[in-house]
Amino acid sequence: MRLLSALVLLGALVAAGCATVQPWQRARLANPCMVFDANGHQLAFDTHWQAAREAAAGGFGVQSGGCGCKQ
Amino acid sequence: MKRLRAPILLTIVAFAGLVFVTRPDWAQNAVEFSFHAFQDSRGVTVLAPVGSLDKDFTDRTGLRLKFGVDAIAAASDSCARCHPSGRGMQHNYFDAGITHKFGDLKVDAGAEISRENFYSSDSGMLSLSRDFNKGNTTIAGGYSFQYNQANLHPSDNVATQWSHDMYASLTQTLSKTTILQLTYDYNRVTGYQNSPFLRTHVNDIMMLGNVPDLRNRQALAVRIRQALPGETYVEADYRHYSDSWSIGSNAISVGASHYFGPALLLGFDYRKYTQTGAFFWQPFYTGSPLYYTGDFRLQPFDSGLYSGKMVITPELGFWGMPKGTSLSLQYERYLATTNFQAATFSLGVKVPW
Repeated sequence: MRLLSALVLLGALVAAGCATVQPWQRARLANPCMVFDANGHQLAFDTHWQAAREAAAGGFGVQSGGCGCKQ
Repeated sequence: MKRLRAPILLTIVAFAGLVFVTRPDWAQNAVEFSFHAFQDSRGVTVLAPVGSLDKDFTDRTGLRLKFGVDAIAAASDSCARCHPSGRGMQHNYFDAGITHKFGDLKVDAGAEISRENFYSSDSGMLSLSRDFNKGNTTIAGGYSFQYNQANLHPSDNVATQWSHDMYASLTQTLSKTTILQLTYDYNRVTGYQNSPFLRTHVNDIMMLGNVPDLRNRQALAVRIRQALPGETYVEADYRHYSDSWSIGSNAISVGASHYFGPALLLGFDYRKYTQTGAFFWQPFYTGSPLYYTGDFRLQPFDSGLYSGKMVITPELGFWGMPKGTSLSLQYERYLATTNFQAATFSLGVKVPW
């Protein structure tokens, strides 16, 4: 519950405290460096091997299956 | 090593196919191929080629297909107990997803089939996202499930596991150069959650573990991207995780990327990870413990991950591929306080067509 409350509070603060950026002002926001999870293959690979070596996978949406390299 | 020849051959064939399908007169959408290599101090080597295709059929509907192989050469202590020269394994997976836009609402649906020695997994997912405030605010949410079956090697018995995952995220543009994302993820896992390979000392006898068959997990992530003057970009991520096995973790990562001209991007990233152990984890057990495990992932430890990457996007393309084709290289080094170490290398080619 504490996590959810923190998320709601952060979300409200963020949504209330920002200006509207017009479409023609978004040139730098469109750069791949500014896009979350722009490199899907690398993200999937990193998430997979980290889940096989750490106990706390998750937090960025849907995960892939498989456990073969966990021995 | 015989097992590792298959992904190398697949890599060569995929590369040849990539050159063929990316003739300039097809120029729409994207095809991507990557090759990953992983090696750790437990004696595990993984070679993993992956290919994917993104194709928009209309301005509202798109399809994504992905196929990958993990060829695993495992000589870890748990494998070496019965296979002194190591054990080769293979993990194949295929996933497909479709995206459709209903006005401002985007719907993604997908499924994945994953098969490997002693383990199979089938999953499905559905996610929704919608833009608000002229595209400056995006709210998204999704649900996915997995049905997993573990073969309790060396016996022929099979154990099952269900996993349900839900997430919600808010992505907010804060200025012309700043964007922030908050994500909450809840995951509930029921059924078999032990490992048929890892053993621990219980009263000086090596035994397979016995762990709870329910695990509730949640994570909160905050991520921010900032564009700086001079084609430099910085990023920072924080993730807090907790679960019903009393494992808590914090992960902080920071990184920066810089364009050296329009064709070359160099970047680095550092991730610091800490976790507490499961409430039942101990190096060895005495008496009559209800739960016990030899799973090294459930112990407390810290780790650091250092990454460096390079992306080359020649103005006119290369190797006869169309303009916009990019080549990426990434190296990662992972060091944990348990003396565990790993290194990865990735090579990727993305081609618009």
